[in-house]
Amino acid sequence: MKRRVVITGCSAITPIGYGKNDIIDSLRQGKSGVGFLRDDGLLSKHIHSRVFGTVDYPIDYGFKRQYRKTMGPVAYYACQVAKDVLESSGLSQEFITSGRLGVAFGSTHGSPTVQREIYKTFFSDLESKFSSIGAVDYLRSMVHTTAVNISRMFGITGRIIASSTACTTSSQSIGFGYETIKYGMQDAMICGGADEYDTTTVAVFDNLLACSVKYNQTPQCTPRPFDAGRDGLVVGEGGGAVLLEEYESAKKRGADILGEVIGFACNNNGGDLILPNLDGITATLRLALKDAEILAKDVDFVSAHATATKMGDVIEAQAIDAVYGGDPLNRPLVTGLKSYMGHTMGTCGVIETILTLYMMEQSFIAPTLNLENVDERCSMLRHTRELTETETKIAAIQNFAFGGVNTCLLVKNGRDAEL
Amino acid sequence: MTRDEFKDKILTILTEDFEFEQPGLDDNLRDDHGFDSIDAIELLGKIELLLGFSFTREEKEKAMEIRTISDILDYVEGIQHSRNS
Repeated sequence: MKRRVVITGCSAITPIGYGKNDIIDSLRQGKSGVGFLRDDGLLSKHIHSRVFGTVDYPIDYGFKRQYRKTMGPVAYYACQVAKDVLESSGLSQEFITSGRLGVAFGSTHGSPTVQREIYKTFFSDLESKFSSIGAVDYLRSMVHTTAVNISRMFGITGRIIASSTACTTSSQSIGFGYETIKYGMQDAMICGGADEYDTTTVAVFDNLLACSVKYNQTPQCTPRPFDAGRDGLVVGEGGGAVLLEEYESAKKRGADILGEVIGFACNNNGGDLILPNLDGITATLRLALKDAEILAKDVDFVSAHATATKMGDVIEAQAIDAVYGGDPLNRPLVTGLKSYMGHTMGTCGVIETILTLYMMEQSFIAPTLNLENVDERCSMLRHTRELTETETKIAAIQNFAFGGVNTCLLVKNGRDAEL
Repeated sequence: MTRDEFKDKILTILTEDFEFEQPGLDDNLRDDHGFDSIDAIELLGKIELLLGFSFTREEKEKAMEIRTISDILDYVEGIQHSRNS
């Protein structure tokens, strides 16, 4: 059994805004969500990179204590976007709790904020006769905290998939959710990811000399995907969720079809856990096309992973060129959406998918910010250099992670789902 | 600490930390206030801090029979009594 899978809801909390209107406005106006690294009272003063893709606006969550007690900051992002998606979906409470709806949701670490509190308590309190690590600290910090807090809050009783593969976390969530519905194991899935403000991640990339440091005084000028002056990635925070549904049942209930997931691929480089791998990435892009049963020329837009690291962008450009570069008249536009908000880690795949859905619906492609002088090693691509009003029928969303994990999602414009 | 003093402190904890609305001494903690096993463990930790000593494993297991705020007061009174005697 192979069933069609459509996207019928989405919501994102991002450094460039929360909700469709804010995000589209930022994309159209070329507004960056990168700001200054916030003081965390621990690591921040030791980190060379002073920039961060920051969610610096208030969000009115309104969660009751019975839910809050098992939630760290990462679960707030996750439950909020899941709530938005479910509320706008029109799905009945009976369906939501039927076991036919599942959750595929993840984060890079669970909640580092809560983990940090646990360690602080542990090391400062070793001699105490009281057990001062709270009973719920594990539930708030564990790696599958986002997925199960969503299922708890909404009474969802279907499958739980909790990917935690760093930068491919939420693209895996969408991909695995798509496969789960496609092969008949669930009828709908809430898919996505979230990552909270976390300087540990910044410190790791900083130590690897992979973080941007040259633009500490002008955060909006970094990251600079594919630009000759790029000097590394910028870590960010946020959350995003999409609702995937089996096509026939979505159509029958009159759901608003935002897009269709037509293909997904995930593989591993089978070797080095850090360095990007041309063969591995190229294979992923080709596997996705094969899964979707389409040709490279059918893809109009590529949302590149494009973290703005020195080698990552070059390898990705070579892979895109190898797969899509054959016909000069049919090359897809390529944008590095991280240029707007930095690298939101576990949530980047779903955020970039949602931004792509918005751009498809509004018939435009946003340019890569800060792309002033294209690195000649990346110049073979058809970069989006300015806001481009154009129809996109099929888009590829590419993400690659530490651990050698690569993913590619292929998404069709919702307007064409009937075709 | 007298029973009344302890009662005031517990009511404050339940209202401020556990967000109980107008708790009554004989309300069912679970049915009337959504209090669950996770809350029970958290509350025990707070009671330990109030009393200045930690409960034994057996004492903690005994706490799982608590259903009302009056039960909490009886439970604490019983433990204080057995430790003093």
